[in-house]
Amino acid sequence: MDNLLLAEGLYKAFGGFPALRGATLEVQETEVVAVIGPNGAGKTTLFHLITGVLQPDRGRVTFQGREITRWPAYRRCALGIGRTFQIANVFPRLRVFDNVQVAVLSRHRKTFHLALPASRFAMRETWAILEHVGLADKAHHPAGALSHGDQRILEIAIALASRPKLLVLDEPTAGMSPEETAATLRLLSRLNREEGLTVLFCEHDMEVVFAAAHRIVVMHHGRTVVQGSPEEVRRHPEVQAAYLGSADA
Amino acid sequence: MAILGQLLVGLSRAMILFIVAAGLSLVLGVLRVPNVFHGSLYMIGAFVAWTVAEAMGGSPARLWVALAAAPIVTAAVGLAVERTLLCRLYHREHLMLILFTFGVMLVLNDLVKLSWGPTYRSLVPPEGLQGAVSVLGVALPRYNLVLLGAGPLVAGGLWLLVHRTRIGKIARAAATDREMVAVLGIDVGRVFAVAFGVGCFLAGLGGALVAPTTSITLGMDHTLLIESFLIVIIGGLGNLWGALVGSLLFGVAHSVGLLIWPQFAIAFPYAITAGVLLVRPQGLLRSVW
Amino acid sequence: MVNGTRLGVGVLLAALFGAPAFLPPFYVYLIALILVTGLLATSLNLVLGFGGLYQFHHAVFYGIGAYTLAIGITKLHWPAWVAFLAGPAAAALAGLLIGLVCVRLERLYFGMLQLSLGSFVWIVALRWYPVTGGDNGLHGIPLPAGLKPLGGAYLFILTTVVASLLVLWAVVRSPFGLTLQAIRDNPQRCQVVGIQVRAHQLAAMVLAALFAGVAGVLYVTLERSVFPNMLSWVLSLEILVMCLLGGWFTFPGPLLGAALVVTLRTFAGRYTEYWTLILGVLLILLIFFLPEGILGTLRARHAQKAPEPAPQPAPAGDVHG
Repeated sequence: MDNLLLAEGLYKAFGGFPALRGATLEVQETEVVAVIGPNGAGKTTLFHLITGVLQPDRGRVTFQGREITRWPAYRRCALGIGRTFQIANVFPRLRVFDNVQVAVLSRHRKTFHLALPASRFAMRETWAILEHVGLADKAHHPAGALSHGDQRILEIAIALASRPKLLVLDEPTAGMSPEETAATLRLLSRLNREEGLTVLFCEHDMEVVFAAAHRIVVMHHGRTVVQGSPEEVRRHPEVQAAYLGSADA
Repeated sequence: MAILGQLLVGLSRAMILFIVAAGLSLVLGVLRVPNVFHGSLYMIGAFVAWTVAEAMGGSPARLWVALAAAPIVTAAVGLAVERTLLCRLYHREHLMLILFTFGVMLVLNDLVKLSWGPTYRSLVPPEGLQGAVSVLGVALPRYNLVLLGAGPLVAGGLWLLVHRTRIGKIARAAATDREMVAVLGIDVGRVFAVAFGVGCFLAGLGGALVAPTTSITLGMDHTLLIESFLIVIIGGLGNLWGALVGSLLFGVAHSVGLLIWPQFAIAFPYAITAGVLLVRPQGLLRSVW
Repeated sequence: MVNGTRLGVGVLLAALFGAPAFLPPFYVYLIALILVTGLLATSLNLVLGFGGLYQFHHAVFYGIGAYTLAIGITKLHWPAWVAFLAGPAAAALAGLLIGLVCVRLERLYFGMLQLSLGSFVWIVALRWYPVTGGDNGLHGIPLPAGLKPLGGAYLFILTTVVASLLVLWAVVRSPFGLTLQAIRDNPQRCQVVGIQVRAHQLAAMVLAALFAGVAGVLYVTLERSVFPNMLSWVLSLEILVMCLLGGWFTFPGPLLGAALVVTLRTFAGRYTEYWTLILGVLLILLIFFLPEGILGTLRARHAQKAPEPAPQPAPAGDVHG
């Protein structure tokens, strides 16, 4: 298996306060990797450095062997890193369909087309994505009127429109009902199985993590402390003591 | 020497601009709303000052009473609008708040027309402040000394308010991080009201101060509003010291413009603004005071 | 539903083209004024309602279009057709220049600076006497004989407005229009999916300015004069109110708003000189009671009452198969 993403020795400080001090992460192609850790462990910062929202003080990020440490977010998107955000981040006044279509149009570089109606472009692909994530029956609802869970799914759909090789999700099931959580997990594992999509996500909910991840990375105080299969991580004494015991709160 | 004199006149004008722009900047920083009827309050301040001074006839205290009364009236008008209507919009789309201040501006300006009519008025300063004094061999209107003193006074007062009072500190925090203030259980509404009231007070004070130096008329609000906008943009949104720096730059540029090309003197501050924005799109100072 | 709308538009168009035959000249004039102002408001709405930009001083481009035509004919003695094309072109150029400065800035800055730059243009029109005629403006601008007031002029205005609206409608429905609305809703998200936000906003500003310029040229066709109030801020606020009143997230909203506000202004002007007071109160009432505008509110009601719209069947041979 190839190394799809490699983040080595990442340091990042905000105003003197170090959020990351030597985080290292490796994601193989077609893997599902979860990052866990208590609040403030640096999970979101790590994801920002991987997706290009922020740039590290030290360390490097490579994707498919290419160094992208200082690349802006939109270039990483073109390279194949898609992402979703911690809070629902959709286009509320647009219909669900349009939300996805815009992202597809952007990938095809068609957003400056003026003459023909948008309904002549990228229709099949947009419908395919909506079918895939199960939002096709709500395609004509305004995105802002969707339930929170559906908005998060829509976000995944928007990210999929860029045809990412790696999908980075920041707490994809936060605020979801148990049913919505289960549906989201099914979606992610199906995308992984059927499309070979590589998934990197962070999560508070341990049940979600152990159900979905092939491999788990534990972060603590800005460092990646333990990496391994769910079983290994579950049995790791340090994890049990320092984290799992208090994580259900 | 003509240049020095022009600069001193420009400096007195910059003081008025600073007082008005500081009020605008305060509201902008705390509420994130460019209060468009700020200019109208400035105009109302000038008209109220004129009315008060007229009512007091030849009394030597008329100017000082007018200077005290006008800002109180405009603060009251501003607070009334804020407490009855604007405060109901805080949870709404941001554009709606701005458009609301547009609406109030249109209403206030016609109310001024209704109350004072379209004629020009002028307020003659009391005897002690008429004529000119010689500063460094330059004749400077005596009244401009009042203006040159008022600017630093207001700046100092604002500094005390913002750094030495509880509500000022909260206002600063609110300008930086509104959520945090709300989480701390502070009544954000009251902070907004106080900031808004002080802002409107300053607009009226500026109008009253300018009254003896210019003809008081409809339309005087528009120029000043645009000038304040430019100053706030130069200095940095919501930054009090930025307003001071911006006013000085603006005043100097305008004076230089008056010497070189009187008809389009206003073009010079615009050029300064454009220059600043090319180098620093966020304005000269950071957007927090 | 769609066919009903089409039928309605067809009937309206027929009535508009036939209007001079059965309406007294004053009403024909009023309709022409509504058409011109409606185009102006629609062009504003491209950047305001669909683009989410705080374009507070849009009338500037209207004025630039009109003044360019007027100055081109009276002072520079251009052929009429050159002047007619130069008006919108100058407006678009101004849109490009102001846009280049403003688009880089944060939203609030954008609004304040756009307003300030617009006011500067207004001051220039007001004070540059030899060219602009100062506060008097320019009057009695000679136009080709075919554009006689209310005969040829009316048909020219109507045709141009309809053609312009068709173009704007196509723009709103195009991939560009859709992207613009996405940027309005969430610029950060757009950046993450690889959209160049500022380039799209700038293009929208140029287009909006272009059609404001077209409206300006048409106004001269109707009135044969230009004056500084054409680029005054009050007019900019008036067209803002039109967008808001009609429904600023709808395409025909600004047209409806223009019809209502222009009619109100025309008749209110007979009884009072306090038009801005009325306008201000109207704006405040709209903000509190009808923030989505007439058409936006109607559309929301309709969507509530109607059963869930069935998903559009995908094109043949699509994934539904």
